[in-house]
Amino acid sequence: MIKIYVTSIPVEDQDKALDFYTRVLGFIKKKEIPLGEHKWLTVVSPAEQSGVELLLEPMAFEPAKVYYKALKDAGIPCTSFEVDDIDSEYRRLVDLGVEFSVTPRESGTVKIAVLDDTCGNYVQLMQEL
Amino acid sequence: MSDRSPSFYEAELERIYHELPFRQEQFAQLRQSKVFMEKHYGSKLVIDALADRAAMSRFHFIRVFKAMYGISPMTYLRDLRIAKAKFLLQKGFLVTDVCLEVGYESLPSFSTAFKKCTGYTPREYRSINIAI
Repeated sequence: MIKIYVTSIPVEDQDKALDFYTRVLGFIKKKEIPLGEHKWLTVVSPAEQSGVELLLEPMAFEPAKVYYKALKDAGIPCTSFEVDDIDSEYRRLVDLGVEFSVTPRESGTVKIAVLDDTCGNYVQLMQEL
Repeated sequence: MSDRSPSFYEAELERIYHELPFRQEQFAQLRQSKVFMEKHYGSKLVIDALADRAAMSRFHFIRVFKAMYGISPMTYLRDLRIAKAKFLLQKGFLVTDVCLEVGYESLPSFSTAFKKCTGYTPREYRSINIAI
């Protein structure tokens, strides 16, 4: 049986990203393994601690930097996370100083918002309606 | 929000949302059926009752639900029940109790659905994931 065990998001600074993704967004650090000048650094959802891990991957490949900058310049989120209540999560994160490029809005069967992860990406939050 | 012009992504969101082939009230109708499932997943639910909640005929309801959410309403209900079952098994509830709690009337049908969704039987899943 094949499984998805990890997905990744490229980050400009792994330590800064770990702080944002844990202290601010609420993920839990799962693995931190030194690998050369970087590390294999993953976080998980508190609700799925044995589930899919999110790899905070160093943005160290020059063509990738160009691609992800182009995504950000166009306002395109590079990934999306599900939340139970997007309005309360939006308020909580704004109180913590998080900046949103898209405030909560309905879009068909979902309500979405887009935040700046301070590590080079926009990230979409989604609540299914 | 600031006065800045919308990004490419925001403009695309706006365009795509306005081109969706559904009316606002159809989204609201379908949400009614989802709310009903989330409230009554522990009971026996038939497709006609769900369609009633959405104020649609049975076939129209199935077609619109699948078009909006990408899965059939019964698959949505199954996934909802299995998610609840996983939570209860992790808490240490017995397999038989969980089976009934999430709306299955027989253990074999619950086990089959559970294994299909998770790769494990409920008993295996419970023993692997039970909180110590």
